[in-house]
Amino acid sequence: MAFDLYDLVNKYPPQQMMAIPLAIFVIGLMIIGVNFMFTGAPVSLGIDFAGGTAVTIITDDTPEQLESYFASYPLISIGEGLNRGNYLRFGPMSDDQFRLLSQDIGARYPDAKVDQIGESFGETLQQQALFALLISFIGMSVIVFIAFRTVIPSIAVVFAAFADILITAAIMDIIGLPLSLGTTAALLMLIGYSVDSDILLTTRILKRQGKLEDKLSNAFRTGFIMTTTTLSAVLALLIVSWIGGIEIILQIATVLLIGLIVDLINTWMFNAGLLKWYVQSGRAAKEVRR
Amino acid sequence: MRKGSEKMRKDETHPLMKDWRILVLIAAVILSVVSIYLLPPAFDKGIQGNVQLGLDLEGGSWIQLEYKAELVTFETTGSVEELLIGLSEDLDAEVSLVDTNTIEIRKPFTREELEQAFAQYGATITRYEIGVGTETAETVKRILEEKINRLGTRDAKVNTLTTFGGASRYIRVELAGVDMTTAQEIVGQQGRFDIRIQTTGNETEHVLYGDAITSVGNPAQHPIGSNNWGVPFTISDDGARALRESAIRTGATDRPTDHELMMLLDDEVVYSAPLSADLAARLKVEEVRNLVASTGVGDDALNRAMILEIHLRAGALPVDVTIAGSGSVSAALGEHFKTMSIIAGIIALLTVGLVVYYRYREPSIVIPMLLINTSEIIILLGIARYFTQLDLAAIAGLIAVLGTSIDQLVVITDEVLHEGKVPSPNVYLKRLSRALGIIVVAASTMIIAMLPLAVMDLSSLRGFAIITILGVLIGVVITRPAYGKIIMAILSR
Repeated sequence: MAFDLYDLVNKYPPQQMMAIPLAIFVIGLMIIGVNFMFTGAPVSLGIDFAGGTAVTIITDDTPEQLESYFASYPLISIGEGLNRGNYLRFGPMSDDQFRLLSQDIGARYPDAKVDQIGESFGETLQQQALFALLISFIGMSVIVFIAFRTVIPSIAVVFAAFADILITAAIMDIIGLPLSLGTTAALLMLIGYSVDSDILLTTRILKRQGKLEDKLSNAFRTGFIMTTTTLSAVLALLIVSWIGGIEIILQIATVLLIGLIVDLINTWMFNAGLLKWYVQSGRAAKEVRR
Repeated sequence: MRKGSEKMRKDETHPLMKDWRILVLIAAVILSVVSIYLLPPAFDKGIQGNVQLGLDLEGGSWIQLEYKAELVTFETTGSVEELLIGLSEDLDAEVSLVDTNTIEIRKPFTREELEQAFAQYGATITRYEIGVGTETAETVKRILEEKINRLGTRDAKVNTLTTFGGASRYIRVELAGVDMTTAQEIVGQQGRFDIRIQTTGNETEHVLYGDAITSVGNPAQHPIGSNNWGVPFTISDDGARALRESAIRTGATDRPTDHELMMLLDDEVVYSAPLSADLAARLKVEEVRNLVASTGVGDDALNRAMILEIHLRAGALPVDVTIAGSGSVSAALGEHFKTMSIIAGIIALLTVGLVVYYRYREPSIVIPMLLINTSEIIILLGIARYFTQLDLAAIAGLIAVLGTSIDQLVVITDEVLHEGKVPSPNVYLKRLSRALGIIVVAASTMIIAMLPLAVMDLSSLRGFAIITILGVLIGVVITRPAYGKIIMAILSR
C-alpha cells in the first residue's frame, strides 16, 4: 500500500504529470487576474495594508450582539473562532471616531486586543511587503541557479515556487482570507518550504547514481514524509490558534497549510514530471556531465 | 530495564561524548538555559525567564506616529543659504539643512507644492520623502523617552522606523502594561513649564510660563569650541519684558549670584542658575529675547543640556505628528495568548513526533529527533533573547522552524538509511555530507527569503523573520551535524 503510494511518481508519463499542476496554475492566474480587474489588487488587502481596525474579543456575546453594539462604526466582518473568540474588522475611520471606538471597547470588553492601522501607513507597509516579496524571490532564484548551475532544473524549481505562491494566493482569494502582514510572512516562508522539497528532488535525481524510477520513488518517499510532518506541525498550530483565538497565527497556519498542499502537487507532479522528461530525453547527461 | 539499556548505550557511545559536534550542541543548550534563566537571574519572571516578550503576549499598548515633515534633496546653481531663508519665509515653516544638499521641512507639503517653491530660487528637487533627518528623529526619540521616564512608566520602547531612502518617517512607542487611553495621554501630553526667580532666601516669584518660550535650539557650545555647553532659547516680547522687570525689581541685575533663575517642569526644579554677569548687565539697559541656559563644561554638561532642551520644550515635539497606527492588548488576553502559544508549541512537537514515529516505527530514531528539535528551540530562545522580542508572529516563526527542522532531520535520516542498509563509516560520511549539502542550499534559500523582512522596519514581522533566520542558522551550524553524528552512533549499534 505504502509502496504503491511512493511509486505513483513512476506510473504516469511526464506530460500527464505536468498537465494537472499547469492547469491549476492557469486557473489560479485567472482568479488573480479577475480579482485584480475588480479590486485593483491581486489579492484582497487586509487592514494591515488597506488601513482599518482589527479587534479580538473573547466573549459569550453572539455576533449579532457584537454587530449591534458596534453599529455606529464601519464594521466589515466578524470572524468566529472556537472557544468564544471573535475577530472583528473595521474599515478606516477618523482619529476621533477611533478614540470613541477605543472607549466603547474599553467599556464593554476591557480584555480586547485592538490594532489600528492608518491608510497611509498601510500603503507604506504594502510597498515594503511587495518589495520584500520581490527581493526574496530574486534572492531565492539566484541561490537555486548557483546551487544547480543547470538551466532547466533551476527554472523548474523557481517556477514551482512561483506557482506555489500564486496558487496559494488564488485560494486565499476564494476562501476570503485577506493579505495581511501575517499572510505575507507565510507566503515568504512558502518560498523556503517550496525550495526545500524541490532541492531534495533535484539533487536526488541529478546527482545520485542509480535507476531513475528508484531515485524518483525514494525522493518522493522522503519528500512526502518531510512535507507531511511539516503539515502536521502546521495543522496543530492551526487548531490551537483557532481554539485560542490567536488570529495572526491562525492566518499564518492557514496559508502554510494551503501552500504546503499546493507544493506537494507542484513538486511531485510538475517538477518530478519535468525532471523525468529532462533525464529521459538525454538532456541531463549532456548538461550535468558538462 | 530501560535505565539499564540506556546506561549501556552511554558506555558504548562514550566516544560520541568526545565528538566536537555533540559537545558544541550540549554547550549551546547549557549556555542558552543559563542566558534565559541566570544571566541575569530571572527566577521570579516565570517560564519566559529573560526572553523579552512582545506586547501581544505581555499586555500593553503601542502607538506609531508619522512625522508631518519632508526630507528634500535638491540641486541648485544659486546660493543654498538664500534658498533656505527664502523657503522658510515662503512656506512659513522651519527649514534646516541636514547635509550639503538635503533639507528638512517641518510642515506637510506635497512634492508639487515644494517644486514650485524651489523653482523660484532656481533649485530643482531630486528626491522627496516624507519624514525627518536622523538628528531630528533622535531628538524626538529623546523627548518621548524622557517624557515616559518622568511619568514612571516601567517598561517602554521608542523606536524610529526608517524608510529605504534614509528618511525617518515613523516613530513607534511601545508601553508595556499600559492601556490605550493612558498611552494616548502619555504621548500627547505636555508638561507645565514655569520660570521663576529667587527673591530672598527660599522664596521665589513667577516670571513666565512655557508659552512665552517661542523656540528652543539644540545644545551648543558657547563660545564654539570652548566645551562650555548650553541650550539656546528664545522668548516672546512679553516674556522678555516680564524677565527684565523681575530681574530689576528683585535686584538680580545688581547681584546676580543672590537671585537664581529657576526652571520648573510640573513643579519640579529642572534647572537653576544665576544670571550671567553679561546678561545681568544687558538687562539693565534693554529687554533680551535670546537666552542661553548654560549647563557647564564637559560631557556631563552636554548630557544635562540635552535633557534641559527636552524640558524647555515641555514635552512638545519639534515636529508635528499624526497617529499612523496604534494597538493594545490587555494583560489578561496577553496571558491567554502566552498559555495558548506554549500549548501550540507542545502539541506541534508531539504531532511531529507521532508522524515521524508512524514513518520510521523506531523509537531510537524518533526520540533523538525530538530531543534535537527541543534543544534547537532552547538554543534559539537563548540566542534570540539578546536580539529580538518574542511576539505572536515570532512564535509562529518558531513553530515553522520546528517544521523545517524536522524536514531536514528526515532528509539526513533517509539519505543515510538509503535502501534500509546501514552503511560503512566511509559511505556514511559521504552520504551525510550530501544530505548536509541539500540542507545548506535549503537553509540559504530560507534565509534569503526571510532577510528582507528582518532588515525592514515592517513593524510586527521583524521578530518572525529574525527567529526564522536564527533557527535555520542554528540548525545548519549546531544541531544538524550533531544529529548526523548521533544517528550514526545509534544505527551502527
